[in-house]
Amino acid sequence: MLETEELKKVFKGKTAVEGASLYIDKGESVGLLGPNGAGKSTTISMISTLLKPTAGDVRLNGKSVIKNPAEMRKVLGVVPQEIALYAELSAYENLKFFGRIYGLSGKQLETAIQQALALVGLKERQKEIVKTYSGGMKRRINIAAAMMHEPEVIIMDEPTVGIDPQSRSHILEMVRKLNKEKGLTVLYTSHYMEEVERLCDRVYIMDHGKIIASGTKDELKSILSSEETVLIELDRPYPEFFKELQSLDTIKQASETEKGIKLILPKGSRVLGQVFQASERHQVQIINVNVQTPSLEDVFLHLTGRKLRD
Amino acid sequence: MKSVFLLQWQRFRRTPVMILSFFILTIVFVAALAGNNPAERPAFLAYTDDSLSPEEAEDWVASLNSEEEFQFQLESETEVREAVSAGDRSLAVRLMADDYRIVMAADDMSRFVLEAFLNRKYREELRFQQIEEETAASDIRAQTVAELEEPVLGISTVTLNETEEFVYDNQLQLLFGMTLFFSIYTIMFSLMKIVEEKRYGTWDRLILSPVAKWQIYMGHLAYSFTVGYAQIVLIFVLFKYVFNFDVGDRFGLILLIIACYTFAIVALGMLVMGLVSRPQQLQAVVPIIATGMAMIGGAFWPIELVSNNILLTISKILPMTYGLEALKGVAVYNRSWQELSEPVSILLLIGVVCMGIGINLMERRSY
Repeated sequence: MLETEELKKVFKGKTAVEGASLYIDKGESVGLLGPNGAGKSTTISMISTLLKPTAGDVRLNGKSVIKNPAEMRKVLGVVPQEIALYAELSAYENLKFFGRIYGLSGKQLETAIQQALALVGLKERQKEIVKTYSGGMKRRINIAAAMMHEPEVIIMDEPTVGIDPQSRSHILEMVRKLNKEKGLTVLYTSHYMEEVERLCDRVYIMDHGKIIASGTKDELKSILSSEETVLIELDRPYPEFFKELQSLDTIKQASETEKGIKLILPKGSRVLGQVFQASERHQVQIINVNVQTPSLEDVFLHLTGRKLRD
Repeated sequence: MKSVFLLQWQRFRRTPVMILSFFILTIVFVAALAGNNPAERPAFLAYTDDSLSPEEAEDWVASLNSEEEFQFQLESETEVREAVSAGDRSLAVRLMADDYRIVMAADDMSRFVLEAFLNRKYREELRFQQIEEETAASDIRAQTVAELEEPVLGISTVTLNETEEFVYDNQLQLLFGMTLFFSIYTIMFSLMKIVEEKRYGTWDRLILSPVAKWQIYMGHLAYSFTVGYAQIVLIFVLFKYVFNFDVGDRFGLILLIIACYTFAIVALGMLVMGLVSRPQQLQAVVPIIATGMAMIGGAFWPIELVSNNILLTISKILPMTYGLEALKGVAVYNRSWQELSEPVSILLLIGVVCMGIGINLMERRSY
């Protein structure tokens, strides 16, 4: 349905995106994953026809939309990273305006407004001024505004940034329903791995402006199929202990987490003995040890050498 | 376009304070400075030197006080100088037989107006004296007054460079100057919504909609034009019909000139928005532009009193200069449409040029 071919964008001599090729089939939910500054927003700006690529092409159903963006815009809904709403107006007034500019009027407009409000769960508070809403409510109206013209494809650029867990969960459930029940095609960018894991069928991983890996979640995890992850929970950080683990040849990757240390090891390696010996030497108090199969987060770390939120 | 235009009014209804404050400020300033009764204003203190006898000094003051514009009060030189030094009076006058001096402790804008008045009175008086000396006619003043009531010929005075003699009308100067000055704020701050939209992402939503880009711009520009135009017209109507300011009987022409001026300011605003991208920066830049343009363009004092060539040259590129020239041309000098076509055409030209450059810059800029 939607594909990009070797997209490139250069801003004042600096390459923001290079060689980005991806495709999304109708009804699919695809994640675009990458840390801040990876080029995700620039890529989706080019896909949504807001930004002209320096090179490459964007095609909708086989037809290029670079010179004819209207075709894309008809079927596209975009949820920007910013709260793109008129803060001094109510949610109802915002939706009414965004509906009107898509040519809706009368009963059709009213129905679209109420459907969008029901979708985001803010029907009861539609008359309140947007600036009085919580961050989560603003984000939900931000999504509702993009749904007013019933798009076939929706691009969501980090729609859950800076909101409370309850609103985040509501948004994720809403996106899942839109995709699974209404067949909406979704391109979802985020730097929250768990969101992409929960929502998306396939994932593209971007770093430094390039797509460095792609595939279904299982395909990506199979990159690390010969490895396993060990999570060691500690009572507090032990820098010397961490340094020693990093220096062990049998450990492929060691990184510090909120609660302790994460190790990526070759499957079946007998390294835990060495870990416990090192903990004895450094008088480290281990609270818990958990051996896991790799997650997308581990894949990302493996591919880029850094965490998603670095 | 209609949706974008109506949206701006909807937003204005929710946050009307800023725009309304400029409207009210204009009324307050003009009413306070121009609408008050000259008799209620404090008199200028005056003293004489040895060139005038006490009787002649009294005659001079009586002559100056014969007009409603200013009132003068004769005092001793010491008292006058002390009053100015102490700040009780900003200006005072030293009257001489065939000349005058303005005494002041600090620069004061009203000195230009006082100077223009004294110039005119002295020129008249010295002309009378010259005629009296040459013709030995004792009743020349009375004859002149009588003749002026029933003139044989209507004469329009034209100077060597073919411009009319400067006529100063304090009320109209303040009404036109202050109204055009405050309308710059109204228009530019309303245009700032474009920058805000680009910055906060709503612009992209509009771009992705079926509304064409030119329609989005037109919606915003039409709103800024309407709000600025409405402000100026309402103030002129208020002062014409409520405060009885004499703006002449060609109000339709005044409305046309205001439209041209408003268009030029909207276009200038677009140029400014193209050069400065952050709303916070604009809040600092707009007052500088508005005040600078008002000072150089003749909103605070008549441009005719400015003699500095650099300032006069700069004034030639400012819409304020041509807006005031055209308005005064109608209300004060009663100029014909042909004579007014020059400043009006320049306003339109400034508008077209600034709009073209401004939109171009805005389109190139990333927000």
